[in-house]
Amino acid sequence: MDKPLNILVVDDTEPNLVLISTFITRLGHTTILARNGQEAVDSYRESSPDMVLMDVMMPVMDGYQATAEIRKLAGNKWVPVIFLSAKAQDSDLVRGLQVGGDDYLTKPINLPILQAKIKAMQRIAEMQREITEKAEQLERYHAENEREQNLSKHLLERIIRAHKPNDPMVEQLVLPATRFSGDIIATEFTPNNILHVILADSAGHGLSAALNVLPVVEVFYSMTEKGYSLPTIVRELNNKIKQLMPTERFVAATLAAIDFSERTIEIWNGGMPTAYFVDEKGKIIREWRAAQPPMGIMSNADFLSKTDVFQWSEPGRLFLYSDGLVEAENEAGERFGSERLLQALKAECDQGQFWFLIAAANQFMGLDSATDDISLAAIHCPMAPIGEDIAQPEQPSAKPVEPSESRLAVKLSPLELKSFDVLPWLINWLQQLNFSQRQCQEMFLILSELYNNSLDHGVLALNSSIKHQPDGFGLYLDMREERLVGLQQGSIEIELERVQENQVPCLKLRVTDSGMGFHADSILNVDISSSARLAGRGIVLVKSLCAEVSYPGSGNEVVALYRLK
Amino acid sequence: MQITVEKKGETARLVLNGRFDFSSHREFRNACDEALQTPEIKVIEADFSRVDYLDSSALGMLLLLREKAQNTNLKVSLTNCTGLVQQVLDVANFQRLFTIS
Repeated sequence: MDKPLNILVVDDTEPNLVLISTFITRLGHTTILARNGQEAVDSYRESSPDMVLMDVMMPVMDGYQATAEIRKLAGNKWVPVIFLSAKAQDSDLVRGLQVGGDDYLTKPINLPILQAKIKAMQRIAEMQREITEKAEQLERYHAENEREQNLSKHLLERIIRAHKPNDPMVEQLVLPATRFSGDIIATEFTPNNILHVILADSAGHGLSAALNVLPVVEVFYSMTEKGYSLPTIVRELNNKIKQLMPTERFVAATLAAIDFSERTIEIWNGGMPTAYFVDEKGKIIREWRAAQPPMGIMSNADFLSKTDVFQWSEPGRLFLYSDGLVEAENEAGERFGSERLLQALKAECDQGQFWFLIAAANQFMGLDSATDDISLAAIHCPMAPIGEDIAQPEQPSAKPVEPSESRLAVKLSPLELKSFDVLPWLINWLQQLNFSQRQCQEMFLILSELYNNSLDHGVLALNSSIKHQPDGFGLYLDMREERLVGLQQGSIEIELERVQENQVPCLKLRVTDSGMGFHADSILNVDISSSARLAGRGIVLVKSLCAEVSYPGSGNEVVALYRLK
Repeated sequence: MQITVEKKGETARLVLNGRFDFSSHREFRNACDEALQTPEIKVIEADFSRVDYLDSSALGMLLLLREKAQNTNLKVSLTNCTGLVQQVLDVANFQRLFTIS
């Protein structure tokens, strides 16, 4: 039998009241009796019954009004009300239903029909109760979910450094399709002032996609800050994503390293739309199609982290964007497409192509209604080198440099020269010695200049005059790569030593290569402000940062003395 | 998306029809399982001639199929890829992972 109900029976005629309540009690339910509308409302308030059988015509308050009052009292809870009335007109029935009755039986009451109606109402009430319960559960779940999502969003934004101020050279826009973005743009300078940019698009969107970009951003920032090269970072990213994420998840990304003083862009595109370098007149100077699959698919053995290097000779912008932009559809189901993108990029416009492109896309499809994450970045590449003087305010040095005599020496043979990113590793050692950030940056700069000179001109015997030819820079890079790949012999030794020179604590950097050496005098006396910006410029920069730079041997050994004060 | 599986000798052809995106997850998995669990099948061919769209989660599903197929020494090829499908596969450089025609 169904669950027994507590039923409020309302009738001003005693025999009816007795008849119905006896019948109901026999069905196994309990009853509460009321003799007019007011009594009914009072009883309802007192004992909130499961169902009401309501007479219509009664003294004090009629059944219609009582029902309306009871509905008010019940609020969200649904209580079935069945009218039992001698009034048998259609209009009576309609009125009864209008004031909130659920069914209408005419007197004399047919008891088997009453029994069936009670049963039917009971079934509906049960369903109603379940729905209310589920709705409450859902509401609680929703509120809980909302709290968790807010927390996640807060955390994610912190981790990906969403509020980091933009670098002045970078214009960027990320439009998530949902609260969370699977697209991310991050930028950071290496210690030797090269701007690293990543624009990544994680498969899918929403929270799960946003979670995928977390390790990407972590690795990108920490390796860039340590000065790792782009290929090393790309390889580590691939490794990390492959390791952490299930097979069907991957991250497409374009990474770029922009050296503003050499005017070069190094780029790696894995599974992203074509990136463009566009000059100020809107001419497309260079494009980079995806050369590799997205990160997180290939095992590291099959993964190619080879980058492409380009030197700009006209000022312009590097454009990176995700497929959300070109695949976005307008109301008619047309895609924005790469044609429209190129059109916007080619337009010569005052405010720069970045905002022009965004305006064009917005006009086409209304960017706020996009169904996929959209991201877009433009990196401004001027002719005049920027950041030459990274003159950061001198931080008060934490503590005076203690006299110490530590020394680190490392020798690299062809195997390491080909593949080992040695500089971040050395800098890491220096960072352990508690130098200030500025000191570490300067030492990194000095070390990388000296090391690259030894590798390029010493071990690989490349002549920098090649760079002066038309297209010389590309040629130079090609030769460099070819010789490095084929390198059989040769070595570089690096020695870092803390010494006291005239009671001043210094770091002595010595780099020796197996090359032929050169006439050092010609280079040491170059004026940095002279127009010769290609060769020997690095050494002049090193000289400006060091107390002393000398070539004691035949030019294949260089010693730089850096004051730690 | 509708998928029909045509088995002929050692080859199972998955004929895909419609938009290949996350909502096709279950159908695609069922179709793959049917092909993978037939012992005589050595080659799985996904036919894209009637696919007008695929997104990154579809690429993910293809990677899953590739992994499962590798575990049982099956070959997977993607056939009749044209237009937008070809473009998406190109950008993702999937020709390095699958035989694509």
